[in-house]
Amino acid sequence: MTPLVLAFETSCDETAVAVVKGREVLSSILSSQVDLHARFGGVVPEVAARAHVEAIRPLTHRALVESGVHPADLDAVAATAGPGLVGALLVGHSFAKATAFARQLPFIGVDHMEGHLMAPRIEFDTFQPPAVVLLASGGHSQIIHARDWGEYQLMGETIDDAAGEAFDKLARLLGLGFPGGPEIDRAAEGGDPRAVSFPRAIPDRPYHVSFSGLKTSVSTYLRKTRRSGELPPLADVAASVQEAIVDALVDKTMRAVDDTGVKVLGAGGGVLANRRLRARLEEEAASRGVTLCLPAPALCTDNAAMIGVAAGHWLEKGHISDWAAPVDPGRRL
Amino acid sequence: MGLAPAGWFAVVRLLAIETATAQSAVALTLDRQVQATATRVDRTGHGTFLVPAIEFCLDQAGWFPDDLDAIVVDVGPGLYTGIRVGIATAQGLSAALGIPVVTASSLDAQALAASTGHRHIFSVVDVRRGELAVSTFRPVPGGVVRDSEAELMDPDQLRDVLMSDPGNPLVVGDVPALPDSVLRGQHRVKVGRPRYPAVRAVLEIGMSKLERDNFASEPLTPLYLREPDVNLNWEKLAPEDPWSSGS
Ligand SMILES: [Zn+2]
Repeated sequence: MTPLVLAFETSCDETAVAVVKGREVLSSILSSQVDLHARFGGVVPEVAARAHVEAIRPLTHRALVESGVHPADLDAVAATAGPGLVGALLVGHSFAKATAFARQLPFIGVDHMEGHLMAPRIEFDTFQPPAVVLLASGGHSQIIHARDWGEYQLMGETIDDAAGEAFDKLARLLGLGFPGGPEIDRAAEGGDPRAVSFPRAIPDRPYHVSFSGLKTSVSTYLRKTRRSGELPPLADVAASVQEAIVDALVDKTMRAVDDTGVKVLGAGGGVLANRRLRARLEEEAASRGVTLCLPAPALCTDNAAMIGVAAGHWLEKGHISDWAAPVDPGRRL
Repeated sequence: MGLAPAGWFAVVRLLAIETATAQSAVALTLDRQVQATATRVDRTGHGTFLVPAIEFCLDQAGWFPDDLDAIVVDVGPGLYTGIRVGIATAQGLSAALGIPVVTASSLDAQALAASTGHRHIFSVVDVRRGELAVSTFRPVPGGVVRDSEAELMDPDQLRDVLMSDPGNPLVVGDVPALPDSVLRGQHRVKVGRPRYPAVRAVLEIGMSKLERDNFASEPLTPLYLREPDVNLNWEKLAPEDPWSSGS
């Protein structure tokens, strides 16, 4: 029987609740705190935790109503156990545990990154291991070789800033708002990605990426051109900055695909909402005859449906968490 | 389940959740008689302690979760993360069981449990970052009356208010964690128990509210007492704008 799971995701700045049946999403809602954090130029952990505690109960009610599921029919309750902000994680984790306990249902603590990794299953029957998966968000940039579900090899990751963090920092340099990814995406519209050739840092490990050098070179470039009055239009600079980040991610990901010989490429994380990155992955996958399983942007950014899908998988395998299960802010897949 | 008419002598199975300080505690009462309690002191262990402790107490009482009629939870002041773990747990149980939940304050719970005949009670809770939440109470027959709202102060300020108190103050709360300077030379001041909010007092506060307010739920608003600690980064707030200011 396909399990019916009520799932929670509160690892960062979205309070998200979903009801899933296996890979099918019956409801998935979230209360984003982006506006709350935008005025601080980044996510403030204490602000995030406070917002979660206010939003979680009404959001749960809405998710259940929208799903049309009667709470008595649920098979399990799941929540993100890490990685993430400890105070934020604890709100969803505690609420989920209490809900499961009250109804005497199994509770499953889910790895946030495995949630992103399994999200393509929601839309793609073809998303099956072995696969390479690119996970890029504000907190992480990883290239993972999924040999099987639960059997993951971290091939590469960022040696400094996460891709989303790089977008945030570069957006600030360009005078754009927070979060940086969507801001640069919009600003780059119609711009020439080859207008400025920013140097790409090439870490000596084959699948690793680095973004800290890019920030320095963009900063230097802006200072110089502004002084000489030769600053090109924002669209061109934004498109060029975006291209540098996208290039780094796509090059290393495709190298991992080539070297492992997998025929399936998955992707997830908030940065995968970036249109240029999506287009480049599509091109590269198509040219190699690799099946790209790239979820819709709403399933790339943080959501609870992905947590429910991962939980459903482990529930069917008989893996459940006990009532004393902790959150782990530094959890590694 | 739950909704007893006012004045009706119902048998009420009440769960108390207390995680506002370094202590975590859970207790169950059956019509004001304590059936089981579980306590642990661990500043960061609220999340791992709570549900197993509730399960333990229910087992002791021979109840199932859906035997519970109401919940009372300490909403602070205290450790923010602990308070949120308690509230999130209470919310989850309340929503899933369809039972009311009411709040208690850590300062009230400490004062109510303080045994004193006549002393002015200073109830103190550590809220981190060098600050203490303090309320004062007067003992009255059958309980205490709070005569000040919770106030934030540092240990030096607490020493000064204790020194200027005209009566013989009794300080309750985690006094052993305070700097020695607070009580040094203060011969009129007595240190009393409890050290942490007493879960039995939380139960008593909860039961009284439920009876008074006809088993209505209360909003679970944490008593933070201060705005979130936001490290304002002016560079971030005012991004460079090379296109409007530069060329
Ligand atoms: Zn994420």
